[in-house]
Amino acid sequence: MQSTTNGHASPAGHAAAGTPLPDEFDVRILRQDAPDEASYWERHRVRREPDMNVISVLQRIAAQAKTVEGERVAPVAWDCNCLEEVCGACTMVVNGHVRQACTALVDRLLADNPDEIELRPMEKFPVVRDLVVNRRRLFRALEKLKTWIPVDGYYDAGPGPRVSQEAQQEAYPLSECMSCGCCLDACPQYQKIELARREGETDAEFAHREQEAFDTRFVGAHAISQVMLFNRHPTGALSAGERLDLLMEAGGIQDCGNAQNCVAVCPKKIPLTTSIGRAGRATVVRAISKWFGR
Amino acid sequence: MSTSSSDSFFSRHEFLILRLHSLTGLFPVGAYMVVHLLTNASVLAGAPAFQRNVDAIHALGPVLPLVEWTFIFLPIIFHAVVGVMIVRSGRSNASRYNYAGNIRYTLQRATAWIALVFIAWHVFHMHGLIHNDYWMNNLAKPLYGGQFDAERATSSVALALAPLAARIAYAIGVGACVYHFANGLWTMGITWGLWQSAAAQRRANWLCGAIGLLVLAVAIGAWVGAIRVGEPENLKDAEAYELARSQQQKDFEEREARIKEELKPEQTNRAAARPTARARTVASEAAAP
Ligand code: HEM
Ligand code: SF4
Ligand code: SF4
Ligand code: FES
Repeated sequence: MQSTTNGHASPAGHAAAGTPLPDEFDVRILRQDAPDEASYWERHRVRREPDMNVISVLQRIAAQAKTVEGERVAPVAWDCNCLEEVCGACTMVVNGHVRQACTALVDRLLADNPDEIELRPMEKFPVVRDLVVNRRRLFRALEKLKTWIPVDGYYDAGPGPRVSQEAQQEAYPLSECMSCGCCLDACPQYQKIELARREGETDAEFAHREQEAFDTRFVGAHAISQVMLFNRHPTGALSAGERLDLLMEAGGIQDCGNAQNCVAVCPKKIPLTTSIGRAGRATVVRAISKWFGR
Repeated sequence: MSTSSSDSFFSRHEFLILRLHSLTGLFPVGAYMVVHLLTNASVLAGAPAFQRNVDAIHALGPVLPLVEWTFIFLPIIFHAVVGVMIVRSGRSNASRYNYAGNIRYTLQRATAWIALVFIAWHVFHMHGLIHNDYWMNNLAKPLYGGQFDAERATSSVALALAPLAARIAYAIGVGACVYHFANGLWTMGITWGLWQSAAAQRRANWLCGAIGLLVLAVAIGAWVGAIRVGEPENLKDAEAYELARSQQQKDFEEREARIKEELKPEQTNRAAARPTARARTVASEAAAP
């Protein structure tokens, strides 16, 4: 698939003349019953209806709860929320590419591959059950890098500084990030962290150990881009240096290997590699000025 | 990075180490590679030109090893050791996400491995690693190592590249290094924030591609040049030149020794080191061609 199509199927949907879409199709799903258990493939057959997306396919599969072989099984678990590609909850690997299930249209998928649709959970996050994953690390990266604007207190601080149209136009695309994690799942420098709970370990101890692991490994493109978003905001810029320092810690910007998969798969077409370039320059300037500055 | 625990030295200085890795890729390693290939390509201009360039480098004499270690060996070793850690920290998925950028990322790692093996073998093949007589004669030479001889620069290179296997190895090894360098320049521009927007990165692609093709042309020149001087009549010419050069050197040394000999008694006789008429004629004789 070409990088310009952003990892989505070609818009050839109904246009695939000559190859009529099948009346029913198979869905191959990589299932897993619980976090520490082995995964297994399962095949379901679904009747094609007009304008289906992968979420409606999963609804049919849940209603049938029966494999192609006729075996009754527990319904496949998945996550979704907005159904319009703004929440990121339904992110999964469809036909080998990470994307949102709610905007993965069945007719287009079948036009590309009429035999079957393959569904897998995201690769870089621990599986909770079937297609549901735990994306805590994604949010922890935002927390670690303080990608927000610190305005504490309820008093009226007065109007903020004016932001030029130009700056707004640059910032807006970055603000569209929905924390879906596609950019992380496709990144060859972002590896899965899945810790097993030790015997007798409390929730707090486990969470602490997990956070330590998260904090020394690659933060990922989404977080780098959010740092650039808030560092360029006039109020956010007040703590720009602090964010850059955090971005230079272990697992920071330097772990990027410039494969540029992130920008190719981002459903919001966020210019992630521009943010990476900007962060690269900003961190170098910051490091040098700190080295010689005090 | 996945290979390190939270409080390891590498982990604490990861940013600095990886920026130094990036920097050493261009300077001195990349810059050295370009100069090295240019020197080697001068073999196209014939044995005398190549020998003069080699002599210019070896004119550094006893300082040469110091220069070699600080500007060539240590930076390459640093770049290679950290490079291996970087390669191991990533997991290519180019077979599934076959975008151009991802394929280049994968090739950057593949060429890194080729460069590592090639450079290690190349240094052994030409340089011999250790310049100790026992090592050279009993180990390096029997294994086709230590082939380069700065006194017979052209013919020793020609003989080193005579076997077909050596020619293929150099074509692959140098080709990989040139790709790695040119693609590395491009990623470096993002790493240091030189080209940021997608459009700027596309333009930089052309720039780095052009630099890569130029360096490749030089590399091909060096390769073809080394093979051409290996042709029988060219090799004879080169050997004749080198023989004449070493005879000239020997003549010069003998004459120098003779003059020293003749000057000696005069100097010991007189406290003032003013040259006598006799010594003066000898000196002017020696200066004549
Ligand atoms: C002729 C020898 C070499 C030259 C001229 C060279 C040059 C470069 C350059 C200019 C870069 C770009 C740095 C950046 O992206 O910031 C680079 C990157 C890299 N080099 Fe080398 N290099 C050489 C040998 C090696 C060797 C022997 C290895 C390891 C086995 C290696 C591993 C790497 C890796 C992994 C990268 C990618 C770094 C990243 O993208 O983060 N290189 N090299
Ligand atoms: S940057 Fe794009 S791909 Fe990454 S989390 Fe945000 S919206 Fe998803
Ligand atoms: S450019 Fe960097 S962050 Fe983006 S996919 Fe490549 S390695 Fe990952
Ligand atoms: S359900 Fe929100 S993005 Fe798909």
